[in-house]
Amino acid sequence: MNAFSKFTLGLTVTTAITFAGTFAADAKDITVWCWDPNFNVAIMKEAAARYGKTHPDINVNIVDLNKGDVEQKLQTALASNATDALPDIVLIEDYGAQKYLQSFPGSFEALSDHGVDYSGMAPYKVQLMTLEGKVYGMPFDSGVTGLFYRKDYIEAAGYKPEDMQSLTWDKYIEIGKAVEEKTGHKMLGMDPADGGLIRIIMQSTGKWYFDMDGNPNIAGNEGLKAALTVEQKLLQSGIYKPASGWSDWVSKFTSGDVASVITGVWITGTVKAQKDQAGKWGVAPIPMADAQGATNASNLGGSSWYVLASSPEKNEAADFLNEIYGKDVDFYQQILVNQGAVGSLLAARNGDAYSSADDFFGGDKIWQSFSNWLGQVPAVNYGIFTNEADAAVSAQLPALASGGSVDDAIKAIDEQVKTQIQ
Amino acid sequence: MRRQLKIVSRAAVYLILSLMSFISIFPFLWMIVGATNTTDDIIKGKWTPGSALAANFGRFFETIDVALVLFNSLSIALITTVLSIGICSLAGYGFEVFRSPARERVYRLIILTLAIPFAALLIPLFMIMASAGILNTKFAVILPGIATGFVVFFFRQNTKAFPSELRDAARMDGLKEWQIFLSIYMPVMRSTFAAAFVIVFFTAWNSYLWPLVVLQTNEMKTIVLVVSSQVSAYYPEFGLVMVAAILATVPTLAIFFLMQRQFVEGLTGSIK
Repeated sequence: MNAFSKFTLGLTVTTAITFAGTFAADAKDITVWCWDPNFNVAIMKEAAARYGKTHPDINVNIVDLNKGDVEQKLQTALASNATDALPDIVLIEDYGAQKYLQSFPGSFEALSDHGVDYSGMAPYKVQLMTLEGKVYGMPFDSGVTGLFYRKDYIEAAGYKPEDMQSLTWDKYIEIGKAVEEKTGHKMLGMDPADGGLIRIIMQSTGKWYFDMDGNPNIAGNEGLKAALTVEQKLLQSGIYKPASGWSDWVSKFTSGDVASVITGVWITGTVKAQKDQAGKWGVAPIPMADAQGATNASNLGGSSWYVLASSPEKNEAADFLNEIYGKDVDFYQQILVNQGAVGSLLAARNGDAYSSADDFFGGDKIWQSFSNWLGQVPAVNYGIFTNEADAAVSAQLPALASGGSVDDAIKAIDEQVKTQIQ
Repeated sequence: MRRQLKIVSRAAVYLILSLMSFISIFPFLWMIVGATNTTDDIIKGKWTPGSALAANFGRFFETIDVALVLFNSLSIALITTVLSIGICSLAGYGFEVFRSPARERVYRLIILTLAIPFAALLIPLFMIMASAGILNTKFAVILPGIATGFVVFFFRQNTKAFPSELRDAARMDGLKEWQIFLSIYMPVMRSTFAAAFVIVFFTAWNSYLWPLVVLQTNEMKTIVLVVSSQVSAYYPEFGLVMVAAILATVPTLAIFFLMQRQFVEGLTGSIK
């Protein structure tokens, strides 16, 4: 190496260090905790890249954990009042939102104070993060539900896709019996210990375990009663294939064993991963329950972003969420295509990805359908004890399966919930 | 007749033992087979080896800085082990050799700490670390794991087998107490030290809750935290989880097999 190239090298290194130094001094770090490398972590990275184009001074630092871990860390840091240990943005599952907002008042920043326009968001997502007139989070992925079904099995049983469009649960069971008779396949996979379907049906009637003020609403809850009645009919009809746990449940429909699955839109990616089943699947609204206020739209799961009030970068964090998640229609097309994520911004439906036909579903515009249902999901208050109520419901499922009366089950659930939350 | 009976009973023993060893080795086999399959196949319950091993490892190494993560785990586990054995062996030795009623009371208090679940200490400990400003450092992970009642107890119990004649002879030869500890006690008790090494190292390596709450950034994560972060919400990548589980298991296996003989001797209390 001659003297000149040594000099050039030296100069380059010095310049690089100087630039790196100035850059670092101005950059602001936004730390995010979230939990799914293929889903919300990947989506947050995309959001950060988009925001970074117009805000080169912001550096988004994503820590990926799993959901239980995020909750453990958040709970510990909030309970210890160790604000240094908190991130700037955290992802919270919707069912738990009110628990955090009410247990740690003042810890989360009300984004309604930061100019977020909630009128363009799915109303039920806004409701679940509202406390005393303020809206706290940025609605993120939706668990808007659908009935995914195998067109080939249904047709073999003598039904057409049109017949699936506005079902009642009784009709669904009737079709299930026909499917088994003609094809030998069961209608759905069901974990007899899991209350997910009960939550879906209950919310489709606009009811929850709690009323809008957060008080237990179990005895005399028509929606819950309708949900338990349907659950019992399903358990007793013999049209389901029992599954134990999540993976087993997934394998029931990915293997072609059962004719349908009723769950959140986030399952679409798993359904579509079975390339050999392309063209055989259809999507319909979920069956309607027999209760006042019942609809064909509901929700299962879903999560939203929250900004910590203690964060020194809370203004930047709020602006970041608002610019991307609150407005960027193009972003929502990208995450729909790449991650199969249905967000909560209703305007996203006007984009290309939402309007396009999906060959896997025989050319149906399934994203337009999901987007329609998204706006219709009844808003409920998930309250702070949804997990406790779920456990109480699960405890009654064996009794229902063996023919116990729905009213007795409701009475037992009511007692268990009341003792637990006192 | 007698011989036949013997054969039958031996066959029964072997059958039961084979069954037991299959049950205990099955999760391990499942992990290895799982790492060679795609997530879809794992969910379907396929238990024959597949062809996705390279793809799973490739994707895992692409997304995770494996060298850094293993270094984090290894350094935390090793430092914890060395410090813990140093302190707890001295304590166990001291309690057994220099007895007094006052020390017995202290010892009982130490044993009592075994009854406190870690969950009860989590928040106070976290507050201490936060106010000391050492969150997200290896120091904060290591510190609470150094002095543990169990290891003190373990050393004290094993010291009971340490012949007092040896100590008396050493004293007569003019050795100081610390010299006796270093040059007589430690070599004689090496299988106890080995067993303690394995126990403390495994505990530190597998430790989950405490590192989870004190470590804040991806760069500080240990392998156990990486395993847990692979288990995601809607579509878990079980192939990658299995790869992570293998990487988390292999170092502990290696250490165990290297020290197996001493470990068993240490637990059964033999003295050389």
